[in-house]
Amino acid sequence: MSALGLEHEGKPNPLGSEGSSAVHVRQWQLEPETEYRFELDPGNSLAIKLVDGQAEIFGAELAEGSIYVFGMECKAAVYTWQGCTIEMTSTEYISEETPMNAYANVHLALEQMRVRALRVIHGSPPSDDDEADMDPNPEPPRVLVLGPENSGKTTVSKILVNYAVRMGQDWNPIFANVDPGEGGWAVPGVISAASITAPLQTSSPAATLGSAATSAPVHLVSNELLPLSYWYGHAETRRNPLLMDRLIRNLGENIAERWDADAECRAAGLIVDTPASFASSSGPQGDHRHALIKACVDAFRINVILVVGHEKLNVEMQRAYGNRISIVKIPKSGGVVELDSSYRERVRKYQLQNYMYGKVIPPPPGLSALPYLQGGEQTSDLTLNLAPSSSVIMFSDLVIYRIGEETMAPTSALPIGAARVVSEMQPLIVDPAQPGSGLYNAVLALLSPPNPDESERYDEEILDLSVVGFLVITALDIPNKRMTVLAPGQGSFAGRTAIVGSFEWQE
Amino acid sequence: MSLYPQPHTQVFNSPPYPAQGYGQPLIPPTSYHYPPPVQPTFHVDPQTFRRDYTTRLADLTVNSRPIIQNLSMIAQEYSRYAEIVAQCIEMHIRRVPLWMKLPAFYLLDAMSKNVFDPYARCFTPLVVTLFIDTYEQVDPSTRSKMEEMLLTWRTGAPNGRELFGVVPQVAIERHIWGGDTTMTASSSRSGGSSSISTAQVLSELEFVLSQKERTLQANPYDKLAQNHVAVLQQLRKLVQAGVSQEELNQILTQLRSLAQPASSSPPPVPAPVPQSYSTASYSVSPPSYPTPIDQTMYPSQPAYPTASFSVSKTEPVDFSLLVPQPTAASSVSATVSAPSAPASNIANLFNALVRTGVLSTSGTPTGAGTIAKTEEAAAPAPPDPEKEVAKVYRKTILANKLKLTSADIVRQRLNVASLLYKRLPVQCKQCGVRFPDGPKGRKTMEGHLDMHFRQNRKASQAVSRGYSRSWFISVEDWVHDGSIDIKGKGRADGRKINSSAAAAAEAAKREAELRALFVVVPPGDEAKPISCPICKEILKSEFLEDDEEWVWRNAVRRDDKIYHATCHAEATASKSTLAVRLRNEVSSSRSRSQTPEKQILRTPPKVSLSFSGEQRKANSPSPTTPMGMKRKADDDASNSSLETMRGEPPTKKLAVSA
Ligand SMILES: [Zn+2]
Ligand SMILES: [Zn+2]
Repeated sequence: MSALGLEHEGKPNPLGSEGSSAVHVRQWQLEPETEYRFELDPGNSLAIKLVDGQAEIFGAELAEGSIYVFGMECKAAVYTWQGCTIEMTSTEYISEETPMNAYANVHLALEQMRVRALRVIHGSPPSDDDEADMDPNPEPPRVLVLGPENSGKTTVSKILVNYAVRMGQDWNPIFANVDPGEGGWAVPGVISAASITAPLQTSSPAATLGSAATSAPVHLVSNELLPLSYWYGHAETRRNPLLMDRLIRNLGENIAERWDADAECRAAGLIVDTPASFASSSGPQGDHRHALIKACVDAFRINVILVVGHEKLNVEMQRAYGNRISIVKIPKSGGVVELDSSYRERVRKYQLQNYMYGKVIPPPPGLSALPYLQGGEQTSDLTLNLAPSSSVIMFSDLVIYRIGEETMAPTSALPIGAARVVSEMQPLIVDPAQPGSGLYNAVLALLSPPNPDESERYDEEILDLSVVGFLVITALDIPNKRMTVLAPGQGSFAGRTAIVGSFEWQE
Repeated sequence: MSLYPQPHTQVFNSPPYPAQGYGQPLIPPTSYHYPPPVQPTFHVDPQTFRRDYTTRLADLTVNSRPIIQNLSMIAQEYSRYAEIVAQCIEMHIRRVPLWMKLPAFYLLDAMSKNVFDPYARCFTPLVVTLFIDTYEQVDPSTRSKMEEMLLTWRTGAPNGRELFGVVPQVAIERHIWGGDTTMTASSSRSGGSSSISTAQVLSELEFVLSQKERTLQANPYDKLAQNHVAVLQQLRKLVQAGVSQEELNQILTQLRSLAQPASSSPPPVPAPVPQSYSTASYSVSPPSYPTPIDQTMYPSQPAYPTASFSVSKTEPVDFSLLVPQPTAASSVSATVSAPSAPASNIANLFNALVRTGVLSTSGTPTGAGTIAKTEEAAAPAPPDPEKEVAKVYRKTILANKLKLTSADIVRQRLNVASLLYKRLPVQCKQCGVRFPDGPKGRKTMEGHLDMHFRQNRKASQAVSRGYSRSWFISVEDWVHDGSIDIKGKGRADGRKINSSAAAAAEAAKREAELRALFVVVPPGDEAKPISCPICKEILKSEFLEDDEEWVWRNAVRRDDKIYHATCHAEATASKSTLAVRLRNEVSSSRSRSQTPEKQILRTPPKVSLSFSGEQRKANSPSPTTPMGMKRKADDDASNSSLETMRGEPPTKKLAVSA
């Protein structure tokens, strides 16, 4: 009996609702420690079912017998430690060369740090057979993952977080995403952190790191994440490194506060995923990356740096931090595919749309009659379609800022500490009534309210306010001083503050 | 009373079915397949098959276990003719006289649950009308049996979900028990509130009560179950005596959160080897049917317990250190004479003994010497079991000699897979999350399955305007998440029970749902001012462009009055109703509930959802004006929350249409 419920090898599907359309289902045996890799073309979807054995996708285990659907140009790999049989609606290739053993060892080493740290928190005696366990002040792992473009940094970060939460120890590690080009659980342009307690699923690049909470009932906690986000507003770190630096430090400060309040969370540690620009020494922007790596190391109190497949960077890091931080070079997966800039553009569009509207991936033809999982959710058609709210507000309802001048020479063109620095961080009010405001179809971050205590307020306070959501201005009616605002849900914006970045909304 | 009434004519000259009851798995419960048919006598020709199967169906005139089983086995063997089988059964049910319909439904039920694929799928398109049509025709006693069967379909699939999917399940339930229980815009739109029948509530109550009674029967010392049973029995009397619609609604909600989709069997005595918790211990769990326990009746088939758990194939444990050590707990439990109590209870008991001076932690008797001495001899300072488990885990992890260096990371080969898989043998079939073996892990698993069920229910009762992305929580909530109740965490699926951020997010969710509710303005009443009876504010009307009608937003209709949905929810929550009492009694001892609803409703959301704050002037002339000065803060409106929200004009302006 075909496990996907379909006949094998292209025989017509007797039960599918599509009637005549035939589905090709293949069964594959994966040998232990191999992986099945796939890349989807735009508009295609893929269904995979684990028939026998055990398998995982980037560290999240698959439930046997459930159909998992992937789409939106998803690129992923099903890995198996002990071997398995899977069924799928198309095939790509199977690789026997994977770095999973090394990644698992890294996980184990991090887990050792966690249990040692937790022991001290619980006041338990050290084990006599472990020397390092005698350390009176063992530090939990706080890991910075560095690597060049297409090295699989995000994948490594995800596997390490997923393995931590799968230990059955109630770990709640923090995942910090400081790559503004990658939306993670929300939209691109933010520097963000979330506590992870269940495996992050993989189904589409629109939600690479799980999903921020919605009003819908969900089955996996990783699809109702509660992130803390700061708005940077651009995909490229070089656009405003000073702002990046400040937001990284803001994020680090709040994480530290959380750890002060929750020692067990502290013991679970932190994984920080970074942009590729941190690793690329080429180009005129070579300098700001060191400053930003330093900002991360300080802000997150990094004690482990993982360098994914990049010898030169490894040496650099050894030189700069080797005396106080464990620098580990880890292999890059052969499965990582080269992604061009147009792909990244499309992914950002998917992420923005997913934030507002959610996204239900249509299952491959012939499968629509069967229950399937998307990102681990069982009734995607009911719960992954979101209804944003569009409303017309007065220009005066919302105060909109842009950070720094619009046309700005790169910082590196100026001497350190030059006058330009001031304007780079300066909040500038944007008047929607002025032609050329750049607000039409712009993505805005709505900020949390400022400090209610007036005496606590200060210039540039808005740089330090966290984000409560994202808005898009879909129409401007200058004569009547009104604009149409697309928001994720209901609410009034009167008296609120938003910051515009450089992301444009595309329907 | 048996669901299989004693037939008037004995089939096969023997009791119609063996004493262990129809559904008892005859085969390892991880498989849903019958053994091959005993008499494979069919030809492969579909026409012949159809004729033959129809003929055999004609024998199904009474609830005969052998006949049902035989027909199932044939169906399984010829699953390539599943469509034909489904057609035959549908035709059969529609044609036969009323008294013959129920047995055929039992066949449909058995095949769908036990063979599952492809039969559940084949019946899915036709089950709603077939069930409803039949239900409309039959007598009350047959109806109640069909209702019982319907309840088991909720979790009848091997993955613990609805046997025929959420949509058919809800469609049938709505038809039989009347409208959905949540007040959605669609229901208020169709005029007035939907009603729930007392019969439905009683039916579900019986179902839950029987679950709890079996739990209690299997473990008479289960205080929680005792409490549940007592409360439910009281409740049954009350419902029978008659309660209001509102209360019915609340009772139903409560019942559904109480109902366990998983086995409610008591934990067997902990044993040191994980194999002892293999599928067998789940499969013998009590049946999940609401009728009194009668081992001979058909539905003693434990449809979901077997389906919901998968235990890893038990190979010899080669990584013994990785196995969590229930031994520690069981040895301790022996000394305090509570052999089957889960670890945490042992800890409590131990603490209680220490407090009363019977036991001493220091080893020196603190109280009455002689008694303490004997106790002490038996239990020399029993350690905190939680800590013991943590210690064992730490030892396991630290036993791997590994350095965090580039060289060691690629060179070492350690058995990480055992840590990820074998060590956690109990797995949720729906989402793949794993739990440790033993009573605690299994309890967590039960709560986890419960969660899946509730989420599916909620999803099937979707609010009409759909769901939306939530606003992010504030920095304060984010920072303090988890710090309030550290003991409350400890759920392997990552759901925290009492975290402030999660509660805030839940409140925001609830609030957003309420605000999305609306009531259609009766034609001609668009200009008529209507005020909310609770807050006295005028309800704002607005025009929905998509539906081309005027509605009151954030509104519900109750007893022909229009309230703000938020006001009404708040008022309802604060009233001390029967359901609240029940909830308090039941959930105070219950650990698996998530954020209790009453808390959500009573706590005004402090999340950023309420966009209050001062109206700020932004009259700068140029697109980019340096902010420069400290902003003048006229922030008297900083007291956020509902009050301000209500007074605000609707955000969706109507003028746009022109
Ligand atoms: Zn699950
Ligand atoms: Zn009101």
